[in-house]
Amino acid sequence: MNLKKALAASTALVSVFAVAAPAFAQTDLTALYEAAKTEGQLTTIALPHDWCGYGAVIDGFKAKYPGITINELNPDAGSGDEIEAVKTSKGNAGPQSPDVIDVGLSFGPSAKADGLIQAYKVSTWDSIPDSAKDADGFWYGDYYGVLSFLVNTDIVSKVPTSWAELKASDYANSFALAGDPRAANQAISAVHAAGLATGAAAGADAAKAGLAFFADLNKASNFVPVIGKAAAVAQGTTPIVAAWDYNALAWRDGFAGNPKAEVVVPSDAVVAGVYVQAISAYAPHLNAAKLWMEYLYSDEGQTGWLAGYCHPIRFNDMVARKVVPQALLDKLPPADAYAKAVFPTLDEQAAAKTEITGQWDAVVGANVQ
Amino acid sequence: MKRSKLWAWITFGVAVAYFLVPLLATFEFSLRIRRGTYSLDAYASVFSDPRFQATFGYSLLVGLFAIIVGIFIVVPAAYFVRLRAPHLRPLIEFVTLLPLIIPPIILVFGYIRLYNTSSILPLTGSTFGTDILLVLAYVALALPYMYRAVDTGLRTIDVQTLTEAATILGANQMVILARVIFPNIIVAVLSGAFLTLAIVIGEFTIASLLNRPAFGPYLQNVGANRAFEPAALAVISFVITWGAMGMIQLLSRFAPKTAALTD
Amino acid sequence: MTDTSSLVTGSAAPVSTGATGSPRRNPLANFARSQLGAYLGVAPFLIFAVLFLLVPTLTLVAGAFVDDAGHFTFQNILDLGTPAILNSYWISIRVSAASAILGAVFGLIIALAVIRGRLPEGIRAAVLTFSGVASNFAGIPLAFAFLSTLGRLGLVTVILKTVFDFDMYKAGFNLLSFSGLTLTYLYFQIPLMILIIAPAIDGLKKEWSEAASTLGATKTQFWRYIGLPVLWPNLLGTVSLLFANAFGAIATAYALTGSSLNIVPILLYAQIRGDVLHNPGLGAALALGMIVITAFANVIYLVIRSRAERWLK
Repeated sequence: MNLKKALAASTALVSVFAVAAPAFAQTDLTALYEAAKTEGQLTTIALPHDWCGYGAVIDGFKAKYPGITINELNPDAGSGDEIEAVKTSKGNAGPQSPDVIDVGLSFGPSAKADGLIQAYKVSTWDSIPDSAKDADGFWYGDYYGVLSFLVNTDIVSKVPTSWAELKASDYANSFALAGDPRAANQAISAVHAAGLATGAAAGADAAKAGLAFFADLNKASNFVPVIGKAAAVAQGTTPIVAAWDYNALAWRDGFAGNPKAEVVVPSDAVVAGVYVQAISAYAPHLNAAKLWMEYLYSDEGQTGWLAGYCHPIRFNDMVARKVVPQALLDKLPPADAYAKAVFPTLDEQAAAKTEITGQWDAVVGANVQ
Repeated sequence: MKRSKLWAWITFGVAVAYFLVPLLATFEFSLRIRRGTYSLDAYASVFSDPRFQATFGYSLLVGLFAIIVGIFIVVPAAYFVRLRAPHLRPLIEFVTLLPLIIPPIILVFGYIRLYNTSSILPLTGSTFGTDILLVLAYVALALPYMYRAVDTGLRTIDVQTLTEAATILGANQMVILARVIFPNIIVAVLSGAFLTLAIVIGEFTIASLLNRPAFGPYLQNVGANRAFEPAALAVISFVITWGAMGMIQLLSRFAPKTAALTD
Repeated sequence: MTDTSSLVTGSAAPVSTGATGSPRRNPLANFARSQLGAYLGVAPFLIFAVLFLLVPTLTLVAGAFVDDAGHFTFQNILDLGTPAILNSYWISIRVSAASAILGAVFGLIIALAVIRGRLPEGIRAAVLTFSGVASNFAGIPLAFAFLSTLGRLGLVTVILKTVFDFDMYKAGFNLLSFSGLTLTYLYFQIPLMILIIAPAIDGLKKEWSEAASTLGATKTQFWRYIGLPVLWPNLLGTVSLLFANAFGAIATAYALTGSSLNIVPILLYAQIRGDVLHNPGLGAALALGMIVITAFANVIYLVIRSRAERWLK
């Protein structure tokens, strides 16, 4: 299934439902809010405030639904960490148990297979492209972006424009991933993308090629074994980091010109990644979780993500209905990058994930020596 | 004689450089947030961050409870061991060394396995329960320091005579402990308390694995996501540690006076 | 309750002192009551230790020998034998050993300089106070401090580059390396050494060096035959304490590099958080390995210390 085509095609389909849905949702929501207020809390995990505009989204939810506190668990967790948090909450319904998760696409089906998530269809369900959601409603795509490099140009004078260039000696001790490739989807996707850039077929082949690429990078001492987020780039620990374009752009904004930074989409592999939302099978606050989903998939929630440089999953629907402020559209990363973007299929991503998380230590083993 | 002085001065100088340069560098780095000029903006940014206030307040509160619980556990134990059960001393001293032997990550891993909601004592089952668990974990971390401080305090007063005198006057054991012994070792207890605070305030491993909104995980989070604020936070943390240790030094000046009253 | 307490009282009687000295109407009953009080007083401490120190640790030790289905197994321990895990133990041991030995050596030299180097009186107090602070200045802020100092934009790095035209990072230095991590750990290891060894150096009695010089011994001879042998057990013991101190440390390294630095505590942290080893049983086995190593180091410390104390009384 081609996700990109589906995302584009969904526009037409969706406008049919868009008219009917809100009225139905309105009545439903009041009861849901009351039930959620009784629970009083929502536990989220892995939502950094500068990721996809989540800070504003969380504030928007709090403002719209007062009386529900949001307990934010480890904001720096990777998808693997989130799944593990759900697993451990099986025998533990306390404040460590996330109600909702936001994980890389390939983590959705595996979590469903392991019985870790439960079905819920938001009222705007039909405007989510079919290829980006589970037919039974267990998981549903939320937003997407393409992989990019964030480059600290105070330190790096020659900005790399492709994965292949990263092997050059100019970039000694200069490049890192934005997560732990054994657990974080952002890092797994980057390894996969590096493999795709070599021309390998998406899936296990590209994953192997990507691991080999990072092993070379590590041998050349270009790879820095650090979780590269905004601070590591600004402080020069790793002046280049591979991250989703929305994160890279948000971090660049956060620098406020100190240091100077650029965001580049590598020319040899424009790889897009979709994240999915799901409700934990052991969610202690089920109604709050459902209300949260309703908010995220409402126009307001989707616009919140858009303000964080993300392409929300209902983007095409909203553009068609002209509910997206022009100012936000202007701020988005250039559309031509997205024209070339490859959306690896679920199977390809699942194969790549298994290969990368399982073999990273053995093949790359980037350690401090 | 002069030669020995020279090498001592050189050693001292090198040590001063090693220990002071990072502090200076951290301070300098914290001023660099605005391009091309020094400013205190990083500090303003930290202090105005609501999460800084919330997490710092939370950790302070948890630390305070840990101190109180620690006092209730350690003072009676140290007192009775000194007064009536010296044969238990090796056991107690061994126990106080356990937190040094067992790394915090092991401790919290064990807690998570032992006190989850499917166990007899489901402490992690509620926010309140997890807070209690965090307090108790910090009591454990601070045990060696609290015990050492209290025991040192008891050594400087004549526990035996004080207890006998109070007994003759009709006081029972708990009253003696609370109204006679405790006031006499308050300085030692306080120095143990400040040490506890210094250890606990920025603790990362346990708080983060128990998923509590404490200052340590906040520090780590800022460290990963902000460029200059971490340096400002490091300076602030150093000032806090220095403050706690300074209080201990200050208190120790009052200590002999209290002890003299009991002689 | 009463049965056991009277039993215990009986056995404890000969050891107890003082309390029986004062005149009482029924000394025996009074004594029994106070002895019961003593055990009640110690009880919270012991109960706490059992519940929040011993049992959690033993749970993990036991968990290392149990598979998913709850059956006894050695498989978890055998699984520790993979290169990645062995490598992480090896790095941990090397960093801990290097920072412990260097910390002990530098700490000893500084302590000697301050205590026996005839420096002005105030310096000794200042150094000891500062050591108290610095030995507690571990964890995340320490990582921030060293990033600000020796990171790529750190003060020292920048000064070396602009003033001396020496680019440390081009020359191969990296804070996220074995040497960088060791250098960072020394910031709390050296002060800890100073704090522990200072009383021992004070214990080197003046009379000894006077006696030695009266008998015609040089300074070198004094240190070679008296000073070092007396301090030696203390030194060894402290090294093992510093080793354990570094081995369990996690926050500093985690703040420096995130979970990609492959030392055991961080591996265990990542495993608890995200099952990065794809084997839930391995967590407890990793923990058991850590317990064994730190316990071993501490047993050395305790044994040596108890022997050393004879000299210093």
